[in-house]
Amino acid sequence: MFLSQLPVLSKSALLLSGSDPPRDEIGLIPCPEARYNRSPIVMVENKLGVESWCVKFLLPYVHNKLLLYRQRRLWLDRQALVDITCTLLLLNPDLTTAWNVRKELVECGALSPERDLYLGKLALSKSPKSPETWIHRRWVLLHLLQKAPPADQNQTDAERSRLLGEQLAQTLQQEMKVCADAACRYPSNYNAWSHRIWVLQRLAKGNVKVFLDELSSMRPWVSAHVSDHSGFHYRQFLLQELTGALAPPAGCSSNGERSAVEEPPHDLPAVQQLFCHELELVSDLIRSFPGHETLWSHRRHVFFLWHRWKEQHPGDGGDEGGDPAEGAQTRLSQTSAGVPMEVERGCSSDPQDIKRLRRGVPLPQPPTSQTEHVFVSGLLDGCGPEQRSFALAYRKWLDTVVGVPS
Amino acid sequence: MKLYSLSVLYKGATKSNLLKAAFDLSSFSFFQRSSVQEFMTFTSALIVERTSQGTRASVKEQEYLCHVYVRNDSLGAVVIADTEYPQRVCFTLLDKNPREADAMTKVQAELDETKIILHNTMESLLERGEKLDDLVAKSEHLGNQSKAFYKTARKQNSCCEIM
Repeated sequence: MFLSQLPVLSKSALLLSGSDPPRDEIGLIPCPEARYNRSPIVMVENKLGVESWCVKFLLPYVHNKLLLYRQRRLWLDRQALVDITCTLLLLNPDLTTAWNVRKELVECGALSPERDLYLGKLALSKSPKSPETWIHRRWVLLHLLQKAPPADQNQTDAERSRLLGEQLAQTLQQEMKVCADAACRYPSNYNAWSHRIWVLQRLAKGNVKVFLDELSSMRPWVSAHVSDHSGFHYRQFLLQELTGALAPPAGCSSNGERSAVEEPPHDLPAVQQLFCHELELVSDLIRSFPGHETLWSHRRHVFFLWHRWKEQHPGDGGDEGGDPAEGAQTRLSQTSAGVPMEVERGCSSDPQDIKRLRRGVPLPQPPTSQTEHVFVSGLLDGCGPEQRSFALAYRKWLDTVVGVPS
Repeated sequence: MKLYSLSVLYKGATKSNLLKAAFDLSSFSFFQRSSVQEFMTFTSALIVERTSQGTRASVKEQEYLCHVYVRNDSLGAVVIADTEYPQRVCFTLLDKNPREADAMTKVQAELDETKIILHNTMESLLERGEKLDDLVAKSEHLGNQSKAFYKTARKQNSCCEIM
């Protein structure tokens, strides 16, 4: 009975359409044997399930058909190709050949890029890491970006520009959602986070608002996933982009003066505020959730980014001036009384704060390796063995890599 | 940082009985949830059976941490969480008795971390010669689908498999 139904089952594209709300998740149901002589496809609400027993029949059947087509031993019309690749990729999204056939279908107009992205999203709900899915997705996005929408004579240039901008913003939002879902489905999902970074680099280059929004919206997420290294790495990327956009490294103009003065507005206090907020976030998490190496690693990255930026902008950002070597001798004996990092501030890395800054609200003290040492010392009392070893390793890194307190 | 289940069981002479349980399985894919729930029940029951009265323990199995407290009166509770969820908070949750006036201070006083037994795998709870695979196969808590799920989950530790 089942073998005769294979052709029907391979028409997955049909299964995906005609559902309201649209299907948002697919899954494999572990089911070693067929029961009751019925279809292996299970549809519950807007979730599509495939019982695992049918895979060993269905997958080779459709895969074989595709290979025969590729070898020019079998003709398949475009709709059949759409169906077959759809079925294949829902079962195994790492079949590059199937994605490549879909690229050809997109290029000749038989398959809309949006439809293809939708399939990718479904495939990722089952295989959130799938490298081939992410790689193909980037091809489709590039294709979308390069394809100019048909010129409509009734539109003005300004209107076209606005519509393009809207479409771009929509695509951006959609990609952020796909990445976020995939990141939730698999811990430290490097492929998902790398894709997220790629999308921002292509669709939001230099767009400070987008980066600030991302930093802000990711705050609760990383706080709930304190050992997700890729999530924190994303924050490091955002910080780096923001410092580049807000205050590019000062270059010297030909007459030796710092060209920073003539360049487009540098928001140096904003950069300092960003780093202070980030260090406060990671301090709070380190204290609340002791013993997570990811948090310490993030702290290292953040402090190092700040330290390097400070070296490129000497004398900027409301610094009190460098502490000479004698500061190093007294740092361990400092109490926590005068330490700005410990002060309770109900802040968030919020664009509103940056605006408040511009209105002249006083800045917190800039982070220094001195303040970092005090943070570490404050933690060492009464902490567990794991936290202790991370804290000591961080202190050693400060001394070796960062060097004399600045 | 997730809490997956909280179960209250009675540790009988030969086996433990599930009295009440609550689950949050929203982070699992839709079709796996019923199997995951059965498996968490199975695990909670097994842990209570293998934990002596008056003991607190934490059992690590892959990316899950199971925290158990069996009282002297044989009432036991198990929390299954991920590795990010702080252990101390779990034990505070397990000890909660709403009828006691200052439950929190009483708990803090009693809770001495050095008295929590740590198991690195489920296998360390078992007797010599007992295999987890056998217990799974025999369990009445698990349906056929869950037992199949267990077998495939064991195999899928390698990420290079086609299916």
